Amino acid sequence: MMSPRPSRQEIVAAVVVLVFLVSFPWLNPGYRYLSLAITTGITSIALYGLGIQFGQAGIMSVGHAAFIGIGAYTAAILAGRLGVGFWLALPCSTLLSAVFAGLIGLPSLRVGGQHYIIITFCFCALFDLALTNGGTFTGAATGLDVGSIDPIFGLNFDQLRNSYYLVVVMLLICLLATYLMMNSSYGRTLRAIRENEPLARAVGINTALHKIGALMVSGAFAGTAGILQAYYLRHISPGLYGPFPSLYLALMVMLGGARLLYGPLAGAIIVSFLPEILKLDPIDSRIAYGIGLLVVILLLPGGVSSGLLEIYRWLMSGRRR
Amino acid sequence: MEIFIQQLVNSLSVASVTILIGIGITLIFGLAGIVNFAHGEFLMIGGMITWFLVTSGMNFFLALVGAMIFVGVLGFVAERGLFQFTLNRPMNGFIMSIGVSVILQHAVIRLFNEVQKTIPDPVGKVWVVGGVNVIAMRAVVVSLTAVVVAITYFGISRSRYGMALRASIADQETAELMGIPVRRYVTGVFVYGSVLAGLGGALMIALFPITPFTGSVLIIRGFAVSLIGGLGNVAGAVAGGLILGLVDGLSAGYGFPEWTDAYSLVVMIAILILRPQGLLGGTLGPRAT
Repeated sequence: MMSPRPSRQEIVAAVVVLVFLVSFPWLNPGYRYLSLAITTGITSIALYGLGIQFGQAGIMSVGHAAFIGIGAYTAAILAGRLGVGFWLALPCSTLLSAVFAGLIGLPSLRVGGQHYIIITFCFCALFDLALTNGGTFTGAATGLDVGSIDPIFGLNFDQLRNSYYLVVVMLLICLLATYLMMNSSYGRTLRAIRENEPLARAVGINTALHKIGALMVSGAFAGTAGILQAYYLRHISPGLYGPFPSLYLALMVMLGGARLLYGPLAGAIIVSFLPEILKLDPIDSRIAYGIGLLVVILLLPGGVSSGLLEIYRWLMSGRRR
Repeated sequence: MEIFIQQLVNSLSVASVTILIGIGITLIFGLAGIVNFAHGEFLMIGGMITWFLVTSGMNFFLALVGAMIFVGVLGFVAERGLFQFTLNRPMNGFIMSIGVSVILQHAVIRLFNEVQKTIPDPVGKVWVVGGVNVIAMRAVVVSLTAVVVAITYFGISRSRYGMALRASIADQETAELMGIPVRRYVTGVFVYGSVLAGLGGALMIALFPITPFTGSVLIIRGFAVSLIGGLGNVAGAVAGGLILGLVDGLSAGYGFPEWTDAYSLVVMIAILILRPQGLLGGTLGPRAT
């Protein structure tokens, strides 16, 4: 089992990831790759939420984009109607997404497995419809515009590099939160629920409370991703938050691996950067993405990250011999 | 009143396509234990094959058979090549089927394009029955669906193969000991459901235009139909299809057309929460993991 104190490998991995994330803009990536890195970071924040609810608590969702949408639309509506800026809207978006995630999670107490997944898909489709039919309040099919982030500590977020660091800071907070959750008694409780829910209930774990709790944390991450996305894109529309973006989020988290700390990040990076590096057009990259997913599920059911971990362990054990 | 009957006739033909996809899903999900999210894409590909064959000069009904065979083979390949490995982990199969759906959808866009496809009405007659115009093709669609429903229903409830199939769902181990090749039945059900999707696609393109994205819209209605009726329950799928078809047809005429899609979603969420076994009862699908 995992030890409460980080092992040496964990520290090394953390330092490598941290150095990579912080130094990325200094590698002279150019406008295109830097903006791709920002969207990847935003996606990974949402994926960490999905990682907690699926990887730890075992509740899959194919409606996760809806919670990103709630965060994004909360920010856009607060800005458009009340003139509330980014920093005040941030807690609102996060909270509101968490509350909605908890509410939509309520059926998960009653129905499990594929039935709940289909429910999340339906809710997401309903959310998309509600946004499209929401009239001027949600900007209907054309969506809403958002201004820029207010400068803080003299940092101007119109500069791409500063937005990148904002996203990285948020991502690191999510990573840290995920790490702490995974290694706390709370994480063990969630994994107990994942592995055997009736048994967990029998030993006195309040499974309902913890499941909703995990879903709300997941929703909070998604809400944070949503407000960052709204302020980065400057324009949001219902199409970004419908069932299909949700499916892609679910596929990304499966591709990267949901149970390990860096799995969601790996999934987001692979899916965003690989087509760009291989110069695939969007259609071919979607096909490649689907094929990659099939290969991963058939050969590496734990995702790319656990595959890499196994290769690493195999190499290490070979060296010791 | 005549408008009402007109709407009724129209929604009956829409319901037929929904029933065909719903029966496929209800059999594959409820009996073979596979959640195939790509089933809508199978239907869309059936439509595309029909379009391709008809535009290259083939008779519609021959093209329909061609589409059924093609999608049947596609289903066979998918089951043998992919889903047979995830039968013990249905959640992985489900995720994999989403991947298949992404691949098929974009492969069709790559091969053809994303513009919607139509074919000329293969029958091209309009009957007037008691002041109501009935497009003959719609009647053909409804009657073909009725035949398929009857064959499937009696095949499962009366024939010895249907009985063997139900036995392997009820108790896989005992069924195997009694000499029933359970794995072959799973493949058989998957292929049969796929063939129905091919038929549904062919019939659909005779009535409406199809785009590469049609499948992903229809899949959720297919799940709605099969879950409303109860998984593995053919009669339930028919009832579910009729309910959804009527709600849609009538809401387009009388309700708020922009919320048409929402009705089936709300009905489905409500049924999944209140009666997960469906209105008419059925299996609960693969053991939830």
